[in-house]
Amino acid sequence: MGIRFNEVSYTYNSFSDMEASAIYKISLDIKEKDEFIALVGHTGSGKTTLAKHMNALIFPTSGYMEIFGKKIEHKRNKKIKYNDIRQNVGLVFQFPEYQLFEETVLKDVMFGPMNFHIDKEEAKELAMNAIRLVGLDESYFERNPYNLSGGEKKRVSIAGILAMDPKILVLDEPTSGLDPAGKRVLMELFLNIHETTNKTVVIITHDMDLVYEYFNRVIVMNEGEKIYEGEPEKLFRNSALIEEYLDYPNSIKVLKHLNKTLKLDLDVFKKTADDVLAEIKKAVK
Amino acid sequence: MKGIVIGQYVPGKGFFYRVDPRTKIVAVLFLMIGTFLLNDIYQVIGALLLTFILLVIGKISFIKVMKGLKPILILLIFTFVFQILLNKEGALVLDSNLNISLINIAFVIGLFIVWRLLAKFKKFNFLLFIAFIVGSIFLFANVTISGDYLFTSFNFRIYEKGIEMSIFVVLRLLIIITLSTILTLTTKPTDLTQGLESLLRPLKKIGFNSDDFALIISISLRYIPTIFDEANKIMQAQASRGADFSEGKLKDKLKQVISLLIPMFIIAFMRSEELADAMGSRNFIPGKPRTRLHILEYSYRDVLVSMFTVAFFTIALLLRINVLGY
Repeated sequence: MGIRFNEVSYTYNSFSDMEASAIYKISLDIKEKDEFIALVGHTGSGKTTLAKHMNALIFPTSGYMEIFGKKIEHKRNKKIKYNDIRQNVGLVFQFPEYQLFEETVLKDVMFGPMNFHIDKEEAKELAMNAIRLVGLDESYFERNPYNLSGGEKKRVSIAGILAMDPKILVLDEPTSGLDPAGKRVLMELFLNIHETTNKTVVIITHDMDLVYEYFNRVIVMNEGEKIYEGEPEKLFRNSALIEEYLDYPNSIKVLKHLNKTLKLDLDVFKKTADDVLAEIKKAVK
Repeated sequence: MKGIVIGQYVPGKGFFYRVDPRTKIVAVLFLMIGTFLLNDIYQVIGALLLTFILLVIGKISFIKVMKGLKPILILLIFTFVFQILLNKEGALVLDSNLNISLINIAFVIGLFIVWRLLAKFKKFNFLLFIAFIVGSIFLFANVTISGDYLFTSFNFRIYEKGIEMSIFVVLRLLIIITLSTILTLTTKPTDLTQGLESLLRPLKKIGFNSDDFALIISISLRYIPTIFDEANKIMQAQASRGADFSEGKLKDKLKQVISLLIPMFIIAFMRSEELADAMGSRNFIPGKPRTRLHILEYSYRDVLVSMFTVAFFTIALLLRINVLGY
């Protein structure tokens, strides 16, 4: 079960004869449970296109994929209920403006569950929980979603998907446009959801600190192709790859800099600030 | 939303791409009027040939123009069919009784089902449809089986003039659409509005502000693809919340339409506000004279196009007067 990509390519067609390939022959396995995956890469590397495939919003141009046992091919299959796939795989878009439309936050978050024919009271309950979960209190329930700040809108849009209680959660840059504290809160939230329910969470991010600290699997995309898949630990030891396509997390940067300037021999691969401190203390002694 | 060619600029290099937009607009206008002046089928066929020659000169692919015809195909068929059926002048070409009877009807329904089934697999959907229509008319006209129950029968008559007129009208429409497609395929929307603005400038004297008019047009044209794009994104965002437009009951769909429209409006307003700010911050003041990045210039191509237009128009006019004269 879960999501399986089998040599999936997707091509955007345009009016001129050029065809822009967004992703090219991606094969990928995402289990239903116990995964915490980061999807990284430059802008335009095909991350969002990949994410949209995960709940069958767009169909592969070639190749096929299986989402919870349902085979998704180039053509829409009338026998498949695509709405069911979207209940199983929840995708949060990068820009919240594209989905908010109701007059109150609560109603907007209820829209998802109501589409899956959950009755009103239950949907309300789910929505309230989801809103609290993303760190907004009761005072937000009756507010107009368009009068919120960017970060609050983002949280509401995340709550809108969480309320659907999907089995797999896919988030397109959930922390972009948030302040550092907000980023932490949300990352802790996703980690918490992952740890308490064992749900698989896939997050698109540019933040290498987060990748190094939280995730147990990283997929690196470049120009539509998957160039790395595996543990972040191994990824950041692959200096050629990092220097060409990505960046080191701050902890590694700091320790590397210390090594270079003070001619020390510290172990640079430390995840948290405390680990870094411990390593430095060792050297000071 | 894909494959709409009418009103779509396709980048390319050809003769018409480098003709001044003003010349093109005026020329297309006069060529159209000229086409309407023609009132004989042979003249229209001549004009159609000339139009095709224009396509060849401009190196515009015939297929692209034909694709642009798709949206108005139904209109063309309707005019064709009604002209044939309703025009009752000239000599009789075809006169037969159509017998609508039980077995015939059953057979036609059978044929229709076969056509629907085939349509799924065949690319020549449309040709099959025509074959189906012609086949059933033939069936009604010629086949009568004894013992069949006759519902009704009526006369089916086609006159010479009817055929002539239907071809005439369809060809005329074809010419006009091809001409306007040449204009829009080879002219950037911005050039088109600049041309319009410059042509409408004399109207300033009677209080019509052509600058503002051109600006409004060019901004709206510019934002059509953007709005399509945004609508697509909103549709996807709502689909991922379980509001897929191709599934669900009618009642649910109404709610889903609202979930599409409201973000659409809000994003459109946000966009226009941002655009206004961006223009303001670059010192755009409505009504103030501005210089142009691309200045429209006439060349020998414009002279050629103008000469062709004048010649065509004059000939059309002369033919018309002549016909009236004898």
